[in-house]
Amino acid sequence: MMNRRDVLGLAITAGAVSAVLPATARSEADEALRFRIVDTNVSLFRWPFRRLPLDDADLLVKKLRSLGIAQAWAGSFEGLLHRDLAEVNRRLAEACRRYPELIPIGSINPELPGWEEDLASCVGEHSMPGVRLHPNYHGYSLDDPRFARLLKTATEAGRFVQIASAMEDVRTQHNLVRVPDVDLSPLPKTVAGIPGARVQILNHRLRSPLLEQLAETPGVYFDTARVDSTDGVPKLTRHVPAGRVLFGTHAPFLIPNAALIRVHESGSLDEAELKAVLGGNADQLEGKLKA
Amino acid sequence: MNSENVRLGLPTSKQLKELRIWDSYFTPSYSHPGPDGSSRLIADIERALPAIRKGEFQKLCYFPHVGIGTTSDADFEKLARTNPDVTLKALERWPDMLLGMIQLNGNDVRASADALNRWLRDGPMLGVYFPGGGPAALPCTHRNFQSLVEQIAELRGVIMQHTWFVTGGKQSPGGSTPAELAQLAAKFPEQKFVCAHAGGEWERGIRAVQDSPNILVETSGFDSTAGFIEMAVRELGPERIVFGSHLPSRSLGTELAKVLGAEISDRDKQLILGANYRELLRPILAKGA
Repeated sequence: MMNRRDVLGLAITAGAVSAVLPATARSEADEALRFRIVDTNVSLFRWPFRRLPLDDADLLVKKLRSLGIAQAWAGSFEGLLHRDLAEVNRRLAEACRRYPELIPIGSINPELPGWEEDLASCVGEHSMPGVRLHPNYHGYSLDDPRFARLLKTATEAGRFVQIASAMEDVRTQHNLVRVPDVDLSPLPKTVAGIPGARVQILNHRLRSPLLEQLAETPGVYFDTARVDSTDGVPKLTRHVPAGRVLFGTHAPFLIPNAALIRVHESGSLDEAELKAVLGGNADQLEGKLKA
Repeated sequence: MNSENVRLGLPTSKQLKELRIWDSYFTPSYSHPGPDGSSRLIADIERALPAIRKGEFQKLCYFPHVGIGTTSDADFEKLARTNPDVTLKALERWPDMLLGMIQLNGNDVRASADALNRWLRDGPMLGVYFPGGGPAALPCTHRNFQSLVEQIAELRGVIMQHTWFVTGGKQSPGGSTPAELAQLAAKFPEQKFVCAHAGGEWERGIRAVQDSPNILVETSGFDSTAGFIEMAVRELGPERIVFGSHLPSRSLGTELAKVLGAEISDRDKQLILGANYRELLRPILAKGA
């Protein structure tokens, strides 16, 4: 066994270390040629509780490009607490027009009067492929008939629905804005009742048996943003039917490198599986909706 | 072809090697090493190896149980107490990779004091870990810490204290907060303490230890929230931050990206990812030499 003397020998031989990190981008650009990466979970504008290093769209897009991310589905942090969602979605659409990578995903709150018009604007005026919901911040449950009606309307319009099951660890939330994770248990029944519905769950940390129930429900998709442990993403990928895990980072709230590294760090996904998770599954979801 | 050679989101292998990464918080089978004292622990280390290799970690410090009531398994406790060799199995298998700091039981001062002599004074362990949950957890402001910290200081050991600031209050009565650690640290200005997880809710945690120069914060144990390292560097200075991976229950991605993805200098990254921890270990390593 190594003794303390051996450890010390290693410790004291700290040589000069060259400045190393900026070259990261080069290897990522090379690998981006192998992998088309679609980030299904980013947000624009300001997180309500702190400034984030990448909460400026220019900086965020620059970072995504440096990581080789070809497309990002962008919601809006404003969608959490603002009530003038028509304006929130208009600002989002306008911001996304400046960057070819960004696909706007509007926020809808079925608790608000006139949500149907917001949805219609997302579909018609802004040509958004999907909408994002925050049931825990907006105060309704997934067995609320308005959610079913929203999902049905979106499905009929050929749009997917993202449900952000959490935005932040409940243990670290602001004391006056404590928001529990979304209870996803009613989702299988609701989705099963709407043929063709496509729902992606964001920022989840799902466990058995709910994970199995959701996996068995056609039309339910998952992102990777908060799927932790060194082999968490491969395990999720093998736990649910093929095509249902879509790469997502939850940037800029979370550092986007984190989710990207987690997909491959255990070395247990083969190249085809990696391609599917990183982008192929997202492309397929969009393709199904267009078809 | 598998994803072993994929490096998306990571610097090159050579660049990572130059950072000389030492992980202060490696948690394989953290709550129980397995009924035989090592099998579950070793399996979990093997599970983490692909990430350890991909991250080019030089050394990782884990926290073995040594039979002083840090688990709830009476059979295992007896085994670890009567057969200390089981505690050494992982270290013997990966002698160049692993460092160890024993889990202490603040609720059993006498057994902990004996364990300090057995494992720190006589080696090969380099410090202690005070857990935040389980049968050994005790708030670090408790009077039981007094004599234990004095003994650890005498042995020049490192103290890693689990901390969390949970919104709404403590999740377990034995948990400690960074504010409580600051109270303890004020009594031992010559001893260094590591505030594991920077309190989880790091904005509050960093502020709580800001005026305690003998406290360093450890970086693992929560989502890769952007801005953490930048605030820690700004408020504490880069010398007071040590990297932890929390592998394999957390991930290389979550934990290494906090530092690599932060808007700080390369020099600060080198300090956080290894140099600071080596400096923290220097007294006890020098003693061993």
